[in-house]
Amino acid sequence: MRQIAIYGKGGIGKSTTTQNLVVGLAEAGYKCMIVGCDPKADSTRLILHRKAQTTVMDLARERGSVEDLNIEEVLIEGYRGIRCAESGGPEPGVGCAGRGVITAINFLEENGAYTEDLDFVFYDVLGDVVCGGFAMPIREGKAKEIYIVTSGEMMAMYAANNISRGILKYAQSGGVRLGGLICNARVVDKEFELISELAKQLNTQLIHFVPRDNQVQRAELRRTTVIEYTPEHPQADQYRSLAKKIAENRNFVIPTPIVMDDLEKLLMDFGILEAEEVA
Amino acid sequence: MTPMKIKDHNELFLEEEYKEQFKRKREFELSPSAEEVKEISDWTKTQEYKKLNFERKNIKINPAKACQPLGAVFCASGFEGSMPFVQGAQGCVAYFRSHLSRHFKEPFSAISTSMTEDAAVFGGLNNMLEGLENAYTLYHPKILPVSTTCMAEVIGDDLNSFIKQAKEKGIIPKDFLVPFAHTPSFTGSYINGYDNMLKGILLTVTEGKRGHSNGKINIIPGFDTYTGDYREIKRLLDIMGVEYTILADVSEIFDCPNTGEYKLYPGGTKLADAMDSINAAATVALQKYSTLKTLDYIHKEWNQKTSVQQPIGIKNTDRFFDEISNLSGKPIPQEINDERGRAVDAMVDSHPYVHGKRFALIGDPDQLLGLMSFLMEMGGIPVHIVCTMGDKAFEEDAYRVLSENPFGAEGKVYAGMDMWHLRSLLFTDPVDFLIGNSYAKLLWRDTGTPLIRIGFPLFDRHHLHRYPLIGYQGVINLVNLIVNIVLDELDRSTINTTSFDVIR
Amino acid sequence: MGTNIKDTQKLIEEVLSAYPEKAQKERAKHLAANDPTGQCSSCQVKSNTKSRPGVMTVRGCAYAGAKGVVWGPVKDQITISHGPIGCGQYSWWARRNYYNGQTGIDTFGTMHITTDFKESSIVYGGDKGLYAALNELKGLFPLAKSMGILSECPVGLIGDDIEAVAKKVSTEMNMPIVPVRCEGFRGVSQSLGHHIANDSIRDHILGKGKLETSTPYDIALIGDYNIGGDAWASRKMLEELGLRVIAQWTGDASINEMGIAHLAKVNLIHCYRSMNYICRHMEEKYGIPWVEFNFFGPTKIYQSIRKIASLFDDKIKDNAEKMIEKYKPVMDAVINEFKPKLEDKKVMLYVGGLRPRHTIGAYEDLGMKVVAAGYEFGHNDDYKRTYPELKEGMVIMDDVTLYELEEFTRRLRPDMIGAGIKEKYSYHKMGVPFRQMHSWDYSGPYHGFDGFPVFARDMDMTVNSPTWDLIRRKR
Repeated sequence: MRQIAIYGKGGIGKSTTTQNLVVGLAEAGYKCMIVGCDPKADSTRLILHRKAQTTVMDLARERGSVEDLNIEEVLIEGYRGIRCAESGGPEPGVGCAGRGVITAINFLEENGAYTEDLDFVFYDVLGDVVCGGFAMPIREGKAKEIYIVTSGEMMAMYAANNISRGILKYAQSGGVRLGGLICNARVVDKEFELISELAKQLNTQLIHFVPRDNQVQRAELRRTTVIEYTPEHPQADQYRSLAKKIAENRNFVIPTPIVMDDLEKLLMDFGILEAEEVA
Repeated sequence: MTPMKIKDHNELFLEEEYKEQFKRKREFELSPSAEEVKEISDWTKTQEYKKLNFERKNIKINPAKACQPLGAVFCASGFEGSMPFVQGAQGCVAYFRSHLSRHFKEPFSAISTSMTEDAAVFGGLNNMLEGLENAYTLYHPKILPVSTTCMAEVIGDDLNSFIKQAKEKGIIPKDFLVPFAHTPSFTGSYINGYDNMLKGILLTVTEGKRGHSNGKINIIPGFDTYTGDYREIKRLLDIMGVEYTILADVSEIFDCPNTGEYKLYPGGTKLADAMDSINAAATVALQKYSTLKTLDYIHKEWNQKTSVQQPIGIKNTDRFFDEISNLSGKPIPQEINDERGRAVDAMVDSHPYVHGKRFALIGDPDQLLGLMSFLMEMGGIPVHIVCTMGDKAFEEDAYRVLSENPFGAEGKVYAGMDMWHLRSLLFTDPVDFLIGNSYAKLLWRDTGTPLIRIGFPLFDRHHLHRYPLIGYQGVINLVNLIVNIVLDELDRSTINTTSFDVIR
Repeated sequence: MGTNIKDTQKLIEEVLSAYPEKAQKERAKHLAANDPTGQCSSCQVKSNTKSRPGVMTVRGCAYAGAKGVVWGPVKDQITISHGPIGCGQYSWWARRNYYNGQTGIDTFGTMHITTDFKESSIVYGGDKGLYAALNELKGLFPLAKSMGILSECPVGLIGDDIEAVAKKVSTEMNMPIVPVRCEGFRGVSQSLGHHIANDSIRDHILGKGKLETSTPYDIALIGDYNIGGDAWASRKMLEELGLRVIAQWTGDASINEMGIAHLAKVNLIHCYRSMNYICRHMEEKYGIPWVEFNFFGPTKIYQSIRKIASLFDDKIKDNAEKMIEKYKPVMDAVINEFKPKLEDKKVMLYVGGLRPRHTIGAYEDLGMKVVAAGYEFGHNDDYKRTYPELKEGMVIMDDVTLYELEEFTRRLRPDMIGAGIKEKYSYHKMGVPFRQMHSWDYSGPYHGFDGFPVFARDMDMTVNSPTWDLIRRKR
């Protein structure tokens, strides 16, 4: 069983990318599970074809305690037998979403969600590693591989670098490694080159460049993934390709995050930032 | 030598001068009138109030429950050279230590990493590293079992990774035993903390220790605060000639001889025995709810036979000896049969004072199940069974115990409820006797229901925890405890009548 | 510098030599030989700093200070332990703050009331549950005068807005709802909890009480928590002096008394550490002077009565002399009874924020000597007040550890120790007579003329119990 955590700046397309990619893996015959680690609970809707599934924390709140839940209520099979669970959590601005991630993963583990037949478990984690709770998926005995979803936009790259710093801490003490960057293209200038260079500086690879295509939105509006919606569409092949690369990936590294100056220099070298703007 | 007559608080404030003072003070208190107080007081005894009281969902009032890390440090202390180590804010550990000392009248050591605001923001790694270094150098422990307070749990401290880092940085030796358990205080209670910590300790100490079967039986007492029980179980197994390991043996920690010398590490399960526990023939837990995860782990990972026995009362104890006999292949010796005979004889002799008496009980789940069973064996009737830390599974278990005995027909089980709920029950459906911990004396005062002190904590009576509740000897102690309170009460209520008998 | 001081400094060095270097340096700042003159600069201890992780400290937390000391004793407020179950459980009915009233009806001091956080309270925040809880409590306890929300660690960590909830409910119910931000991870000891609790009294209660009449003899008794009835014994004396005690904080206190102390002519403060903040505030805002006093043991009592009387007219001053005349024979009788049994006995004290200095006089009245004194959570100003009270060369110790206590015991050979429950039983095992000086070991009162005989009796039974001689010691 390979456990994989997907991180990236909020709004970058993590959940969409993860679900499309997992469908690609499932289509190739792998048994997969997705654990959504984001209070928005949008990590499984394209697999389950519904607005949002019942989350562990929501149900725990309703019942009073996590002990009162049954695993079947929160672990649901969707398209191609992909198992789906969402940690759930509060509205922005209240409570502690990170603790929800800890509680939910503990619950899933203790109640036998991680069965032997699983080939892949994906954690789709909210934005940055903002607190200990959001590092839960990469604690020892959990995800050993991380992929960061990014784009050529400065803030996304900044976040990718920042996440690498978080990983570095865990990589030094545990076995977690960075498997690569996934570029979810925003169509900025020289995006492929830019992210390839960023990946190089982070000591990793650009594992796949997913081009921008409106077909993704069309599928999403119908609460489904591209592969399921239009299996013949070229964009479906992009996700199949990403899935294949991840399945075959052997390039796992301890990242080497760069300092802000180097990041800005990189952007300048590629003509994104003019020298004056930085000054 | 006649000592000077000195009045302390027990008598002093009954004096006229003080009564006058209290009256004068009321002018500044603006307290409600005696009539108002009486009116509300009477209202709290009604069905109407009970309904309102049972509708509350968001507040506990006088609960019989405490938090996970208390159970964790209790369990952790029961191993040779063990210093319980708690990652979190320091006040919690101060509280655990005073709480346990107040009950056992014994010193209790545990260490905190004293996390403050900076740790809240940056995580507790630095506190853990410095804490391990200081604890290791200052107190020379053999094992440092780590548990957590809610602070460390909310910010998501990763114990496993922290401990590894401490070893990698050379702060403590690589092979030094640092088991750990996450014990958030906002989940479960001390029985779960006990369970999590014990599992953590066993996982760590038995690593790589699997070998040939040693033929022993592991005994897990659970969160049992009766030191007498630990000595009793050892005595009984010795009589049977069964080899055993107690996991975790807290008896010396909480009942240590006075030799004029303070020992930081007064005893506990030998680490060599704990390490070898993986090679035992079987594991028997004497409580169910405080050993759920540990037993599951032992069953699945060690492939051992596991069994839960709650040897309180005659039939439960019979079952316990049958099981030990089965597992060990040793017969039950005559000595134990004699003890059974004496215990039953005591029950037969005293039964008239318990038969048909109605009881309310509040306490820990396993103890409640045992006490209910024992009371019904004497012809007593468990009526209100309140378990603040109980869950649905406990409710089912309790109803099963009740359903197996005709004296259980009246019993109702209240999981998750507290002493304020019980107060309403005692007013609207009075019983003859109440069984609970020291805090239940509030219920005794309000409702007049005589209190028999069994449970945890027992702060206001001394040495009760030294007498076993388990086994046939435990039965005799229970009969003694219960019947003599019934008789004291009978004397009190008949004091000026002809029924004030000398022979009972 | 006297030889006493040098000898003690050497002794401290020896004790500290067992520590790793870093801890040794750090701890050296918290231990000193006493110089009553205050001239020896190396005799000043450092205090109110963080305890080291992994070193067994006796200290508690801000919640313990706010609940256990300041707010817990206020009798007609429902004081809610807001957060997980433990904090309220471990501090339940533990400090013996006596009060008059019918518990559960018009008073709530010995109850444990908690929101009992679950995971969902952490993840989704506890504010909604708190709002509902306050309403449920109001329904069940209609005679409560106020509700206090004492926040435990998670409340601060997850960013709940208890102030907003309190404000809303306070308006809806037209009663004070007092949010107290005393999360246990704040500050370095109980002490910050006292301060936070003082501030919450200032912001939510003070100035809002009713007092019909006023006299020139109105005083407030501040910083007496009525442990074993202490405040009652003190109050009796103040009334006999001719003063009117309009407010008693916070032992046996009502919310109304908490609201009228600013109408006193003077604030008399016993425990300076825990309530100086609010006294300073009343001085600044209302111009009310405050005076420290000490009601432990006759010597200090006589001094204190005269000091207090000096603030009032001749009638009160006369009363003071009359009182001393009246009680001196009683006090002398106590001394005559107990001094022969206690003379020259050595005492080591390690208590909270007041008693290490305030009880020295009472021990000396009995002929006993305090050879070491330390505070769990004292500040600089506490130590400054202690140096002159203690003899030269005695040991001063701040946030002392179990190891250091044991070593000092071995070397100073005190005849009794006064400290807390966590220390008590290790001393029993050592065979060293011990008295809890937080809770008076379930005895009391120790304050005032009625308290001193109890104090003397208790010290005698501690030092002279025949049980100590039964211990079969290893040679």
